[in-house]
Order: sequence, then C-alpha cells, then structure tokens
Amino acid sequence: MLEARAFEPEFLKKLDRLALGIKRARTVRAGTRTLGRVQGLGIEPENFREYAAGDDLRFLDWNAYARLDQLSIRTFRADRQVELTILIDASASMGFPARDDKLGLALALGAAIAYVAMGENDPVRMAAFAMRRGEVYLKATGFHRRRESYLEFKPFVAAVKCGGETRIGAAVDDLLHHRRAAGIVVVISDFLVSQSDYEDALARLVLARHEVKAVHVMGEIESTGEYPPGLVRVRDAETGQTRETVFGPDAAAACRRKAEGISARVRDFCTGRGISYARAFGAASLETFFEHELGALGVIR
Amino acid sequence: MGFLNPANLLWALALGVLVLIYLRSRSRPTLEVSSLMLFDDAPAPVASVRHVRLDPLFWLEVAGITALVLAIAGLYAMAPVHAGRGRSHALVFDLGAAMSAREDGNSRLDLARRAAFKLIAGAPAGDEFSVITYALEAQVPAPQTTNLAVVKAAINSLEPLAVAAKAAALSAAIIRARGSSEIDLFTDRPPPAEAIGGSLGEAQVRVHRIGRDDGNLAIAALDPGTPDSTRGRALVRNFSAAPHLVEIAIDLDGKEIAHQPLMLAPREQALVPFGPLRSGGILRARILTEDAIAADNQRWAIARSDGAARALVLSPDAAVRGDLARVLLAINPNFQVETIEPAKFAPAANAPGSKRYDLAVMHDSYVPGIGTEATLMVYPPLSSASGAEIPGLRIDGTARSAAMSSERGAESAGGPGAALGATRVIQLPEWMDALDYGTYGSAGAIIPIVAAGEVLSGRVGVIAFDVRDHFLFDPDRLDALIALVNVTRRLTAPAGVQVVPTGAFVTLAVSGVAQVTQPDGAKVILKPDKWGRVKLRPLQAGRYVIDSAGTHANVLANYYDAAESDLGAVPEAVPAPSAAAVHAETPAARPKQVVPLAFILIALAMGAFVLESILLVRHAARWRMTHV
Repeated sequence: MLEARAFEPEFLKKLDRLALGIKRARTVRAGTRTLGRVQGLGIEPENFREYAAGDDLRFLDWNAYARLDQLSIRTFRADRQVELTILIDASASMGFPARDDKLGLALALGAAIAYVAMGENDPVRMAAFAMRRGEVYLKATGFHRRRESYLEFKPFVAAVKCGGETRIGAAVDDLLHHRRAAGIVVVISDFLVSQSDYEDALARLVLARHEVKAVHVMGEIESTGEYPPGLVRVRDAETGQTRETVFGPDAAAACRRKAEGISARVRDFCTGRGISYARAFGAASLETFFEHELGALGVIR
Repeated sequence: MGFLNPANLLWALALGVLVLIYLRSRSRPTLEVSSLMLFDDAPAPVASVRHVRLDPLFWLEVAGITALVLAIAGLYAMAPVHAGRGRSHALVFDLGAAMSAREDGNSRLDLARRAAFKLIAGAPAGDEFSVITYALEAQVPAPQTTNLAVVKAAINSLEPLAVAAKAAALSAAIIRARGSSEIDLFTDRPPPAEAIGGSLGEAQVRVHRIGRDDGNLAIAALDPGTPDSTRGRALVRNFSAAPHLVEIAIDLDGKEIAHQPLMLAPREQALVPFGPLRSGGILRARILTEDAIAADNQRWAIARSDGAARALVLSPDAAVRGDLARVLLAINPNFQVETIEPAKFAPAANAPGSKRYDLAVMHDSYVPGIGTEATLMVYPPLSSASGAEIPGLRIDGTARSAAMSSERGAESAGGPGAALGATRVIQLPEWMDALDYGTYGSAGAIIPIVAAGEVLSGRVGVIAFDVRDHFLFDPDRLDALIALVNVTRRLTAPAGVQVVPTGAFVTLAVSGVAQVTQPDGAKVILKPDKWGRVKLRPLQAGRYVIDSAGTHANVLANYYDAAESDLGAVPEAVPAPSAAAVHAETPAARPKQVVPLAFILIALAMGAFVLESILLVRHAARWRMTHV
C-alpha cells in the first residue's frame, strides 16, 4: 500500500529539504484592519509610515514623535501561520483499477505535502471527501503544526477507504461552510468527474481567497489503457453503468488519449485561474513527484 | 430411421455442457473501472449485438458434436435395396394337402415351383435364396445360399403333405424368413393376416397365390358299424359349387363289399350306408371319382371282430366297477366283463396263463401278474407295487382336485377343462405318451392325466383321476368320459394295426430295427429306443407297413380337414393380390435395408470443426492476436 510509504523514514528524509511554495505574501500590515485577514501581531519590525486616522495608537512610535514631532506608526512583520488543508478524493473511482492503488498514491502525496508544510510549522490538516448515500462525506483531521505531530496523520491515512461518488463541489461547499482563515487548499483527485463539477469547486476555493493547488492522480493502467486484451464488460465503479468493449492496442491508445485529454483540461483550467497543477500518473511517480512535478509547477520550492 | 446403439445417445449430454460453456462465455468478465469516460473512444465491436446475433462458433460446435453423437448412436436410414446388390430372397412354400390339388395335370405345388423358378431366373446374379416350407410346422430344406442348383433341388424335392397347413406354422416360417430382404410366399389361399403381420419385421411379403377355386370330394368320416349287428356309414362331402357325381367303394380286408354311385348337390354331404359287416377287419372307403385332392378320397377304419373279448374290472368300490363295466360294454358290445373286488380276486385265477384277458381295468388297486393283453390303471394306488410293475411309472402323491386341459401347458379353447376330483400326481416313463394333461394346485402345475404306451409285455394305460361317485356319468365331466373311451380304444385296438389321423405321432413296440414302407412306396429305416419302440409321424394318407424282425404292423393314416379340403373357400385374410399384381406394385413395396449414416455424420462433424477453426483464426487476426 502506497500510503504506508509516506511514513517511512527514508521517504521522509527526502522531503526534509523541501518547503511548501506559497505565492501569496505571508505578511500583513499591523494595525490595519483587513477584512478576512488576521492582523499581524509579530515582533519583527517591518517599516514606519505616517499616522492616519483610525490607526491603532498602540503602534504609535512615541520616541520618533519626541524627536521629530511627527506622528508615525510602526509596522511589524506579521508572524502569521498559513493553514494548509489537503483534500483527498476518496470516491470509488480512486479504488480502481485496484492494482494502480490510486488512493494510496493520493494519500501518500497528501501526507508528504503535509510533512513538507509542517517543516515551517504551518498548521496542516488532511481531509477525505466523497459523496456517499446522497450525503457529503468529508472527514478531516485536526490541524497539526509540528513535524513531531506528523504521525498523528497515520491513523487517518490508514482509515480512509474508497466509496461513493466524486463530488468535489459538494466537498468544497462543506469545507467553506466552516469559515476559517484563507489558507492553502491542496486538492488531490483523479478528476474523473464532470468538468463543471471540479471547475466550479476550484473556482469557489479561489474566490474564498485560498491558494489552491491541484494534484491530479491517475493509475498507470488506466492512464495507459494496458488492460488484458479481449472482450470484457467494464463497469463504472461509481455509477454502476456498464459497457462492453474489446481491449487491445486500439483501446489502449483510446484510453491514453482520453486520460491525456482530461489531464489537459484540468491543467488548462488551473493555469487560467492561478492554480498550481501537478500530476502523478502511476505509483512509480511517487518517488520523483516531489523532485520534478511539484517543483516545476511551484507547489513546493 | 433409427439408432443401432440408442444407449449412446447419452453422449448428447455433451451438448448440455457445451451450452453451459457458451452461456458462461456470454457472461463476459466484468472489469470494474474508475470511470467509463476513459472508454468513450474504446472500440466496442461486438458488444451491442452480442446477445441477438447467431454465434457461428457456438453453432458450429453444436453441429459438430450433434453429428458425432448421432454417429456413435448408430443413426441409420432405411433405403430401398438396389437391384443386383445381393438381395436375399426367402421362398416360402405351403405344403398343405390343398397344394396337392391338381389343375390341368399339374399340382398346385408344381405351379408354385414354376413361379419360384421364374423368380429365381429373373433375379440378378449374386442374390441369395432360401427355401422354407410349412404345414404342421416350419422347416428349412435349403438355407440361404447363392448356389441356385441347391435351391432348385430343394424346391424339386418338395412334396405336398396330407395335412392341413397351420397358421402357426406359417408364422414360424415367416419368422425364419424375416432376415431376408424379400419373402415370396407360395400358397393356394390368402394367408391369415395375424400369421404374417406380427412376425413380418422390415421384410416385405409377396404372396403368390397359386391355383384357382376348384371343387373337391372327400370322405369326412367312416363308421364300420357293428359286424352282424348295425350298418356302417361313410360320410361323403362335396366341396364343389356344382352338383357332382360320386362313385364310392367300400372294402373290407381288401375285398370290395359295397360300390355305390350317388349325386351330391353343391356343397352337400351325404351318408352312404353299407353293411352290416359280416366280420371284423380293416375297412376302407374310397372315392373312385377323380377330383382335385386324392388324400381325402380314402378313409380307413377298423371293424371290430365279433369274437368275444374278455375284460376284467377290479375296484374296491362296487359303483365304480359297475360304471366301468358299462363304459366297456358301450365301447365294445362283445366284451365279456368280469367285475370283482381286488381283495376277493381268486388266487387260482391269478395263476399265470390260467386266464387270459384282453383288458384288465384296475381302479385304486393293483393286482400283479394278471395275464392280460392290456392293462388300464384308473386312479392307481399310492402304496401298491404298480410303480414297480410298470417300469418307470412313478406316483408322487394325490391332488385333492385338478382340472383337465387339452394340451400340455395350455387349457382348452373353451376355457378350463372338466374339474376333476382326487387325482394322482404321476410321472410317466418315456415309453408312455400323455394323451391328456391337467393342472392342479394354486400354481397350476401341469401333470399328465391320461397316458398310454406299449412295450413288448403289453399295452398299459393310466388314468390319474378318481372315478368314484359315478364321476364318469356326470354330464358336466364329459371330457373325463371321452378320455376313458379314447384310452380304452387305444388299448383294445387290434394288434398290429392302428388307424390314426395324418400328422399324429404313432408309437409302436418293435423287436428290432424297423423298416417303414410309406404309402408312396418309399422305405425308411427306424431304430428302436431303449424301450424297444419306434416313433413315426404319418404325413401321407394311406397304409404304412412296419416290418421288424419278421413281425408286421400297419398304421393306417386318414386325412380329412374341412378347411383344407375346401378349395373354393376364401378365408378372411389379408388381401391377396396375384403374383403378377404384386410384382407390378409401386416401388414403395420394395424391400428396404439399413443404411448407416455414421460416415456422413463424422464428415459433417469434421467439416464443422474445420470451419470453426477458420473462423477462430479470422477473429484472432481481427483482434491482432498473434496466436489462438
């Protein structure tokens, strides 16, 4: 199981040198009331500016006023932590083909990203989502900040099972329903869902001022179409619909084209919305994912 | 059509297995995938029509296996036999007395021979023939052979018999001929349908009706009367549809004693009286008028001598003694009957040679050493020495009741025979002939009831049932009385001469090898059995002379059968087309033979499998598979 790999020391050692890439400024001006922002209460001085009405008099630099007879406000670099939420698709489609262990790959990636984020003491939580029996299934861990707490994720990772339909939009709705400070949301999914569903979900995360990163996972078999040749009836793991097809070179090529097409659509959408996009196709990509894929796309730095 | 090995049809279960495999294959392996959208562009060449189209591979497999199953089950068809392909013919000849009827100087059997020879001459080379005859029973003078000389010789050797042809014999003949592809029946009258239908099988019977309706005269009966007492009578019958002049002569010991012409109306029978005879002797009635069948133109009878005959009746029951005496006097009025209680039988009279009887009748008793020509044991005693005195006779016990039956193993046609009272269960020696059988017990065990035989020491008869309580004069038990009369007549017949119907078996006591001179002059040598007897069966009407060690015996065989002698009667039977008409029938009447279809079926199976292989290779190529 790939998710176990995320807790192996050798694997974590490779991640020690990585840091989560955050595009958005980590500082806010102290003393400024910014909607939706937590005011910076750090101790590291950043700048001075003239006093303006409404500024918090606690940050007035009285020494400068004594020397210069000019009111100025001292600003500090905000000592603010960015919450990282890792949303992992736990729908039924993540369980097939079983040999690909897509869910294991997604959990391993999510855990690894969490580990990287915890290197800067950012609060990190992992959540799994799906639509089961008509209701949104969103199971999340608590926030953990220090790497010493990393193993707290292990029970969660081990407990996540596939099932239900992929409803990214519903999961995002549920996530945004609990109002929290804007942070980083990493969505790990196979995106085998209607285009409108994932586009709408990602767009709403962006509108909520979250920094969104999309990780597209697919199995090696389903991305290459290398199924055993012959006539076979295929059944959709989520909808139960079936169709008969004949596996062979033609079918494999068609499957590859289809997987690439889906990947391209997601990537194009993410690029247009300032969303970092990375993909991990196949279990083998886990080893190289952090070095090449995420780094190239700015998910990590 | 049919199957030679229908049990092998069980292999058809393989078809069921094949269907199961097919149904299993139709339920394609289901592969669960993450989403069908990945397969939107994947080819689905057969999925949409799989369930409704015919699967050629499956049906070729079905056809192949079906053909193999039918082949090992031995499917065959009946096909007409082609001429010249070694057909087998059975030539069945009726040898009844009517086949001796003469028409235009030839007997009907001669006409049948000609028809058979014509058939043989017209048959392709290689055909096999067999010759089968029937009258009293079926015989095979010539088994199936391609040697036509043997067949013709067998046909030429056939002679009509002075007996009526039995339907059972015809059935037996048809059964023996059943293996032949063609059966040609030569008879002068349509065969009974039941005689052919039940035993025909696949073969076709072609009836060659020989001869035409004709008139015939016959002596149906001859009663010599009582010498010096009553007149004798001969019953003459005209089977013709026209009036017929009959000239009849009566001979006694070879000397003509009466000669009378008379005119008989169509199908009339008339009594011709004669006598009374002046003495006993061998009486013979003859029709001098020439007619179709000669065998029924003479009849023999024995006129009893008017000399006194002595009979002894022993019984512990006085009533039985009286009954038996009355019966003996009715049979032969010249009998001087002595009746006495066995215990009171005088020892002096028991001395050998002191008194000679023609017949001694002993009821429920046995007194050894009586000087008598013939002995009749009625209800022989259990504990006496009768069994020892009569060699081979064994008395096993007594049945409380029994019933008479006409033949061994079969009851009389009118149902069960007369009910008998107490009956001895006897085992007969080989030299005795059972004249009547009976059954007893809940299981219906068959035992001889009346028997008679002859050895050099004299004639012996046995009646197993008791005749107490005036049993013989019970009108409901006439069968018992008739049995007593018959065995008594047999025991008291003149020595050295017997009058029997043709076809009956005759047993004669001889002192050495016997030479039998038949009525046609042919001589036959017979060897006696261990009891010193010879057995013969007269099949010709007339006198049989048996010479053995200087002694002579005569067997006079009478033939008369109302149905057989009636040449104008047409019994109910299957339609009897003439031989020519039969030959002109449609080909459907041609015989058929079994044609196995195994080779054709195996070829079909192989073809189906080869075609299936070709289709498999084509499918593999379409799916870009390198090997199948």
